[in-house]
Amino acid sequence: MSTPTRPPRTTSPLVAIIRYTLRVCVPRQRALLFLPLAGAVLFGLLSRLSDEATVTAFAQVGGTAVHTLILPITCLVVGDALLGAEIRSGIFAFTWLSPVPYWTIVVGRWIGGCLIAAAILAPAVAAGALVAGAAGSVAAAIVAAVTGAAAYLALFLAIGATFQRPVVWSLAFVLLVERLLGAGLAGVAQLSPGWLAQEVLVGVTHAGVDLQRKGIPHGWAAVGRLVLVAAVGLAIATRRLRRLKPASASD
Amino acid sequence: MTDVEQAPERRGGSQLFAPVVPAPAPDRPTPGDPAFVDDATVVVTDASVWFGQKVALSDLACSFGPGVTGLLGPNGAGKSTLMRAVTGLVGVNSGSVTVDGRDPRRDRAVHRRIALVPEDEAVPGSLTATDLVRYVADLHGVRDAGAAERALAAVDMLPAADRRLSGFSKGMRQRAKVAAALVTDPGVLVLDEPLNGADPVQRVHLIDLFRRLGAEGRTVIVSSHVLSEVERLADRVLVLVHGRLAAAGNHRAIRDAMDDRPRHVLVRADDPRRLAAALLDVDTVVGVSLTDAGLVVTTNRAGDLAVAVAPVARKLRVRLREVRPLDDSLESLFRELVR
Repeated sequence: MSTPTRPPRTTSPLVAIIRYTLRVCVPRQRALLFLPLAGAVLFGLLSRLSDEATVTAFAQVGGTAVHTLILPITCLVVGDALLGAEIRSGIFAFTWLSPVPYWTIVVGRWIGGCLIAAAILAPAVAAGALVAGAAGSVAAAIVAAVTGAAAYLALFLAIGATFQRPVVWSLAFVLLVERLLGAGLAGVAQLSPGWLAQEVLVGVTHAGVDLQRKGIPHGWAAVGRLVLVAAVGLAIATRRLRRLKPASASD
Repeated sequence: MTDVEQAPERRGGSQLFAPVVPAPAPDRPTPGDPAFVDDATVVVTDASVWFGQKVALSDLACSFGPGVTGLLGPNGAGKSTLMRAVTGLVGVNSGSVTVDGRDPRRDRAVHRRIALVPEDEAVPGSLTATDLVRYVADLHGVRDAGAAERALAAVDMLPAADRRLSGFSKGMRQRAKVAAALVTDPGVLVLDEPLNGADPVQRVHLIDLFRRLGAEGRTVIVSSHVLSEVERLADRVLVLVHGRLAAAGNHRAIRDAMDDRPRHVLVRADDPRRLAAALLDVDTVVGVSLTDAGLVVTTNRAGDLAVAVAPVARKLRVRLREVRPLDDSLESLFRELVR
């Protein structure tokens, strides 16, 4: 009688990296995962105070708060865990010291990060829209949050692969580039995930022409722009990974 | 050819050991140079690495082949930097490092052949040991379903394989990392202080494992700052000091060369002056100086002195309060040698 042999394992490196990311990059304190939900619900309730129609009020109050506060902060936490934190601790060596192409590492980490961010943000923004009484905005709010997160995470991956203190640089990007420069310069805003995500929500829900910012694509065009920003971020991250020196924690 | 040679000036400026074979600094490896092996898989050619103002490796030239090679040196000698350069984690600023003739920094395919066990304690704490080993196996395209289990068994980790790494002791984390390295069946295995945190039983087990891997024809490079550890691990030893190759060769000869150096022992006693005079008559004592802390006895053979000092004190009816080597650690010994 022959001994049954186990079938060969066929997990591809990309799937392995995504699976690893899902296991490792979720914040350890699970209670933190509910903060975006609490924030979105709070801003959803605040939307009710507006005299505008519910869809417009949600886009104006809830949407703005989500895309300027909850979305970037959530992505910052998840984005740092994707690369920066591992590089700092020396854990990234397990991944870097493999024959896997750099782009596979970057895309795997990014997909994993997007899934985590989507799992956190989608219920949050949906609950926010529902609480605001804008049930019709739920789908658009989810699309805006998820595509915005995808762009943010790609940029934060690029920052993580480039700078030694990615959290500081990522914060600087959000506060100085996006919020400060982006508020005044449409050219900056049209490459900014936060502004673009807001325009996705405003454009798709037809919340009102008054809420649309000039010089920035709206609705599905903004989704396309976010995809472009994500692609550029991933390309930069891949390129920077070639030059990375994943030093040890003791360095 | 003797076992130990002082490294030529170009790669070891420090005069660690008296040159056994006086020779001008060669530009290329000379036949029989203990810094090089004939069947090299890893070749380091005049490699320098610096981080800002700090020079971690300076014109280092050596090679590694099948078998276990120990990298010995005090903290900050450049051992970890050399190991990271060999694995491609750090690029060299000048010179070159090749593995199987290829640059590990540029050629990702070389990583199929290399595995590193880093010194860092950091591990992905939310994974189990099995998860970590399987993750590394998947990245390397290991299709053998039993490979992970065998790798864990090799380091005696099967009983704890399904526990999270965050709950592991330092020694267990090291063993999990060794298992993750072994699962790829590497031809070149680089181990940075792999015995850190391991208990005595596990130390013996790991040393046997590493020696067995070397005997199988793998290139095993092991670093340590503990001479006795390297003695048990490796027959061939490279000594690094200040980023330079200070000596290379057989560990016994290196030990002898170190033992020939004067060492200092602090002796505290009730009547140090009388004891000092008597100790000067002891064969192994080179000199005695009286300090505020006590007598500092310089000896060529610290072990013999330890045996001799008690009878001398008893004969003089002097009470000994403390006998303690001042430079017993390898690090302090290195410091003295390169002074």
